[in-house]
Amino acid sequence: MSLSPSTSKMLSLKSSDGKVLEVEEHVAVLCETIKSLVEDGCADSPIPLANVDGATLGNVMEWCKKHADQKASADDLEDWDAEFVERDQGELYHLIMAANYLNIKGLLDLICQKVADMIKGKHPEKIREIFNIENDFTPEQQEQIRKDNSWAFE
Amino acid sequence: MSGQLTYSYHQEICGILQLSDEVLAYNILSRLTPRDVASIGSVCRRIRQLTKNEHVRKMVCQNAWGREVTGALELMTKKLGWGRLARELTTLEAVCWKKLTVGGAVEPSRCNFSACAVGNRLVLFGGEGVNMQPMNDTFVLNLDAANPEWQRVSVKSSPPGRWGHTLSCLNGSLLVVFGGCGKQGLLNDVFVLDLDAKQPTWREVSGGTPPLPRSWHSSCTIEGSKLVVSGGCTDAGVLLSDTYLLDLATDKPMWREIPTSWAPPSRLGHSLSVYGRTKILMFGGLAKSGNLRLRSGEAYTIDLEDEEPQWRQLECGAFTGVGSQSAVVPPPRLDHVAMTMPCGRIIIFGGSIAGLHSPSQLFLLDPSEEKPSWRILNVPGQPPKFAWGHSTCVVGGTRVLVLGGHTGEEWILNELHELCLASRQDSDP
Repeated sequence: MSLSPSTSKMLSLKSSDGKVLEVEEHVAVLCETIKSLVEDGCADSPIPLANVDGATLGNVMEWCKKHADQKASADDLEDWDAEFVERDQGELYHLIMAANYLNIKGLLDLICQKVADMIKGKHPEKIREIFNIENDFTPEQQEQIRKDNSWAFE
Repeated sequence: MSGQLTYSYHQEICGILQLSDEVLAYNILSRLTPRDVASIGSVCRRIRQLTKNEHVRKMVCQNAWGREVTGALELMTKKLGWGRLARELTTLEAVCWKKLTVGGAVEPSRCNFSACAVGNRLVLFGGEGVNMQPMNDTFVLNLDAANPEWQRVSVKSSPPGRWGHTLSCLNGSLLVVFGGCGKQGLLNDVFVLDLDAKQPTWREVSGGTPPLPRSWHSSCTIEGSKLVVSGGCTDAGVLLSDTYLLDLATDKPMWREIPTSWAPPSRLGHSLSVYGRTKILMFGGLAKSGNLRLRSGEAYTIDLEDEEPQWRQLECGAFTGVGSQSAVVPPPRLDHVAMTMPCGRIIIFGGSIAGLHSPSQLFLLDPSEEKPSWRILNVPGQPPKFAWGHSTCVVGGTRVLVLGGHTGEEWILNELHELCLASRQDSDP
């Protein structure tokens, strides 16, 4: 099925910062949360999305639009996704939170895999540096952890 | 639903620690390898706590080793825990040899039988009795019993007696027999047995055009239900180099040859080890080399998931790590033991080796490495003096049970040697 823009129904989505986005229904329903609202007939007024800011909502809908396109091949989507995840960490986490809230499994998997790939093969010190995480262990804990986990990176 | 879930929205720079515990644990940590989990678990208190979650650790093992493998490990690791198991199977720190004695008897005595594990049971079928009598009986050793003993299973309609056949496990519950040498010569028939059926019955599977009758071939199963057979020896004494597949999950299983533009030299007594779900490592055997037949020390791989699967020789370098001495390459051999560890690494030992090499020396290879190299694995405990592939069973992914006694001539099936890959739940803290 490929609904042309003229025949597809439009939905209004309202972000946490008050921006309203007009999105074709067949694109927006890739979000399970919105899909159930539509199915329950609760999607008339602009749908308020209290946990997603306008910029993130725009990014999410860009992904949904691409993935709702029946003409896109699997290879095509893979290449497109690889480019889509090339963004700074802050945007990635906002996308994860939005995908989790809107219940879009494909997008959640994609971004989480990207973050997991950033962790892979790195020593704890390097992970702290990349993700800007503070070492909050006491010296005693630190010693215990070294004992428990050093098999993995020494 | 109102669509008004509330949690604070962060305008400021957003860091990984602002993700919820649930997302961090189940969506991100669960995608890492056991090593990476140990690494990120050393970064800060909150993530450390999340990495201790047994459910997350199980997901990590599933991702690293596949669902099938993890399922087989489930029972073994109730008390050990997934984190400990992942560590032990990565570092191999707990590997040891143990000896155990079991009751019952496999009578009449025999050699050249075939054995494999179904869950925590060992099953032995057929073999060569006195005066080259082909046997057709089935025995089971239940390792879960308080005092395990060999018991003859009363089965309806046994396959014709045979030796030099293969016995493999399907979907962790069924057994499948292929080929071997029977009273009237070599066989190419297939029989399946459900041990848990009310009245266990060997059922013949007619599979279209079967491969040539053969003995001393090698078999394995991939994806639970696909039986793969390669090589062996024909009636005329000719060595084979073909590869056949029979998917026993289909309504009407049909043998099909896997056409490859190149195949390893024809051979018998080699091993097939499955890793990475659909990949097979072939090692050793007695291979045709010009006019001669020589023990082989070569390794070959094929991925049956490829559109056009191809055998290719695996160039295995010798491990030359810090302070390592000379090149490590397993001496050529046949009828050896090859087993795949949950992480996809392969251990070989035993078999028939020329000269003074010890068959109990263990060699380890990770065929999925970019440049695979053999390593020697030094293991404490008392190893068996002999170990043969057709009489070795892998139980639950972490226990390698070598049947047979000391002499290597007479089979004493009440003595078993176990290569334990992980510490047992009842012995270690």
